[in-house]
Amino acid sequence: MYSLLLDSSNKNLSVGLGSNHVLVDQISYDAWQKQSELLVDEIGKMLKKNHLDRKDLGEVVVSKGPGSYTGVRIAMSVAKTIAFALGIPLYLVSSLEVMKVAEKPTICLMNARSKRSYIGVYEGEKCLLADTILSNEDVLEYIKANKSFALSGELTQLGLSDQPVDVLANLLKGDCEKNLCREPLAAKPVYLKDSYPV
Amino acid sequence: MGRHFMEYSFVSKSKEETRKLGAFLAPKFVPGDVVLLKGDLGAGKTTLTSGVAEALHVQDDVISPTFNIMKCYFKGTLPLYHIDAYRLDHQNIELGLDEYIEGDGVCFIEWPQYIKPLLPDETLSITLKNIGGDDREITLESNSKHFDDMVKKVKEVF
Repeated sequence: MYSLLLDSSNKNLSVGLGSNHVLVDQISYDAWQKQSELLVDEIGKMLKKNHLDRKDLGEVVVSKGPGSYTGVRIAMSVAKTIAFALGIPLYLVSSLEVMKVAEKPTICLMNARSKRSYIGVYEGEKCLLADTILSNEDVLEYIKANKSFALSGELTQLGLSDQPVDVLANLLKGDCEKNLCREPLAAKPVYLKDSYPV
Repeated sequence: MGRHFMEYSFVSKSKEETRKLGAFLAPKFVPGDVVLLKGDLGAGKTTLTSGVAEALHVQDDVISPTFNIMKCYFKGTLPLYHIDAYRLDHQNIELGLDEYIEGDGVCFIEWPQYIKPLLPDETLSITLKNIGGDDREITLESNSKHFDDMVKKVKEVF
């Protein structure tokens, strides 16, 4: 039984195949604005390359957002469809949590634009700050107050350097009880941005 | 701050001249630049944008995005995004437009007043006014050093 791992919540497109929590194959590259054209094709190619049939898939693990408006919808739509069609479990993981580094409290960040960032803070299985959207000023304050925490993800909007992330390594461990989606067809991406007052 | 930013007006005598202004500005844009286009229907907003598109070697014809809200042109030397926010008046504007406005290309925005929270601090405003016949009064207003330089160069040529 294999796990299909999908992420298109930001600029990258990541597809992985896991077996007993070991990553057996993966691709990940910048596919900004092209994720919808490439995702299904990449899944097909990866199955073929590993001599697998879709019936060998036992579960789908996908990042649910927050992130790019279209991006969070692409992998989610594909994951829902596959889980529904094959009748296999669907797991939804925060796209900030999938950026955490092992054994360290991690401040996971993504540029939310208009001088804001998406932020979530994780330490192993614990969530220290639930995913939210904050002004870049507030994020910088938070970082200052928690100097020992690792930083992960997009930081250029804060005047800092972006930090590498290993999304697939985290998605691989995402098939736990708290992430199980009981009603795959009702799964909704998380966008977090409230409407501006009109 | 008391800083005085550049403003310049001139009269374009034809569609061709308006298109030329677009072509003149095109190579000066860098990723993330935002241009606010103002003017009534038929004032020449799309004509100006098509001049930019042509100079960026976009290869597609530019049409007004009033219905679609946004048109993207990826094939040129710099991605060109053309937004018409007219239909977003009193609507939820959280449609991911910010990913294009603060994106990897230059963004032209018609009816920018309807998406004010999404606009960056630094913009170039271009107002086109029909003053009879083919004549259009074109006003450029900068609020940053980067766009000041552009307006200065326009002043030398137009």
